[in-house]
Amino acid sequence: MTTTDLEKLLSRQSLAQLRADISAGKSPNSPAQAQQIAAHAKSLTPSPRPLRLAIVHTYTSELLDPWLDLAGALQGLAVHTYHAPYGLALQEAAAGSALLRHAPDLTLLMLRREDLHPGFLQPVAGLRAEAQDALRAQALGRLREIVLHFRAQPVGHLVLTILPALAKPALGFYDAQAESSEAQFWAACKAELGQWLRQSVPSALFLDLDEVLLQVGRSSFFDRRFWYSSRFPFSAEAAGDVARRIVAIGTVLGRPRAKVLVLDADNTLWGGIIGEDGMAGIALGPDYPGSLFVDFQRRILDLQQRGFILALCSKNNAADVDQVLQNHPHQLLRDGHFAARRVNWIAKPENLKSLAAELNLGLDSFIFVDDSDHECAAVRHALPQVEVVQVPSRVIDMPTCLDQVARLEVLALTSEDGAKTALYAQERQRRDLNNDIERSGGGAGDYLLRLDMRMHIELAALAHVPRLSQLTNKTNQFNLTTRRYDEQRVRAMVLDPGWIVADFSLADVFGDSGLVGLALLQRSTPRNARLDTFLMSCRVIGRDAEAAFLQALLRHLAGLGIEGVQAEFLPTAKNELARLFLPSQGFVADAQGIYWRDLRALAPRAADEFPIKIMFDACAAL
Amino acid sequence: MNLFEKLQQTISSTLKVAPAKITETTRDEDVAAWDSLGQVNLIMALEQAFDIYIEVEDFGNLNSVPAILEFLGKQGIA
Repeated sequence: MTTTDLEKLLSRQSLAQLRADISAGKSPNSPAQAQQIAAHAKSLTPSPRPLRLAIVHTYTSELLDPWLDLAGALQGLAVHTYHAPYGLALQEAAAGSALLRHAPDLTLLMLRREDLHPGFLQPVAGLRAEAQDALRAQALGRLREIVLHFRAQPVGHLVLTILPALAKPALGFYDAQAESSEAQFWAACKAELGQWLRQSVPSALFLDLDEVLLQVGRSSFFDRRFWYSSRFPFSAEAAGDVARRIVAIGTVLGRPRAKVLVLDADNTLWGGIIGEDGMAGIALGPDYPGSLFVDFQRRILDLQQRGFILALCSKNNAADVDQVLQNHPHQLLRDGHFAARRVNWIAKPENLKSLAAELNLGLDSFIFVDDSDHECAAVRHALPQVEVVQVPSRVIDMPTCLDQVARLEVLALTSEDGAKTALYAQERQRRDLNNDIERSGGGAGDYLLRLDMRMHIELAALAHVPRLSQLTNKTNQFNLTTRRYDEQRVRAMVLDPGWIVADFSLADVFGDSGLVGLALLQRSTPRNARLDTFLMSCRVIGRDAEAAFLQALLRHLAGLGIEGVQAEFLPTAKNELARLFLPSQGFVADAQGIYWRDLRALAPRAADEFPIKIMFDACAAL
Repeated sequence: MNLFEKLQQTISSTLKVAPAKITETTRDEDVAAWDSLGQVNLIMALEQAFDIYIEVEDFGNLNSVPAILEFLGKQGIA
């Protein structure tokens, strides 16, 4: 980075602008520059949030500190890093260790291939298929031991990395088609590791450093001088990118989860202004610069696969934007991709507020993307809880401009995530049906009956743990206690006979809303239970599902011989919606505000009192 | 700023010690933070501050202010 670039960075007055500059390629090329920029970024954040990081490493990790410091400062975080003693320090996962005393939010394992098996000191390409399979099984077995060793302790989110090879594959050009290909060997290792982590290890992530290698290139990734003399592999560029990824994980863990991507239209989805340039005049298509906008839209579709829902917010005549969405041959984002739209001349902060109300989601889950200085400033000022991303002024940077937005990373994916916009589209159809019934004089009861709802309740469903943890972390409105539980905690409750973990999914004529409700009950005594958590996704509010679910659970509890259930409502800024739920279900509060439901004095309501057909599946239990 | 002052500033900001602690005769063993990791950080900082590329063979020799000044002189930096 030139001195001019550095001066420009040091004059920036917002972290968002600093992040945008660095993501557009103006990154520091020495630890000293990183420190200078970090100091400036810190001056823009009077009270940074802490991120406690622990690193277990079999190569030098301490030299990452200035880069972690910078990446943290750019996200408004103060990174406190504990480096375990050099080596595969398994004792750091023992009770009372320095690592555990550090109380990390995130523990990073920085391992090398040869830590997993001494066989990697020899060429893998020299082994026959069966020997390669055996080696892979042994290496992954070792890796599983290491991961489980740490996962068994409160080390925060566990992030695993394996340093890529400095050398090109043993068989060179021919490797890709060789029977004993090294590249294919490692690809198979990664696939198997990924599957195991996904299915069996909660709150863990394999952070693939091969991606960093692809990003910066092999010859730029390693600085051989520092690798061979000091066991520090990374060039400035690689160190900056590795640190950015690590801190992004901390950012996702520590901030409200982003759920909605609100997109401007003119000069964001396409180049130019539809109202002035017309269909033929906007830049969108196979040739430059329209090709940049096609690729930008393609990237938005990728983000949709991560579970973000899309909304459109544009100052335009609705008909003009409709025409592009319906008829432009190169437009990738069509009407069905957007869960909600605001195309009008109202101020954007007002539109964002009404989008939040329509989608039933908090504004702190919104990321707003716009090209205009004015609109970005207006939203930042009026709605500081909304994250604002201004698209770059250089159109050539458009396709990658969202790649480094930390909150667009996801640490787990459930089957609900990819289909989310479809779920919101179903919701629009339900609203339309409701409006039709109201217009023809029908009541709410008619509407619910017409939905033909089916609720599927499952107990102790181990396979649901990632989604259940996600629900505790994302659900703010219909949530009695707002207790957040990571996957590990939920899994422990599922396996604990002292707990009853019940969830439900809901389907109707328009489609399946997926897993949307959770109750966590603790059997406090043989005859009593305590309702620790009761929540339901806002996606299915207004359909009597919460009452149907709770009453079904109460019937189940009564069947187990339980005579009373204790519950509480812990008010937050967001859960007003759930305030009257317990009293409406026969719970009575004492002087301390603790609710009690006597199951003998007042029997639970029967299933046929609800407009929902209930399937209660206790077979999922162990 | 003369060459020594620029070096003094580079060392003090890299190793996070007061500039007064770095004199024309300071060497690694005089400064606690000038350990093997400090040395690597210092090499990177010298490359940046003086716009030079340092060969790995020279890393070990650059362990004192006089040695670094002599090295910079040989690089044509005065």
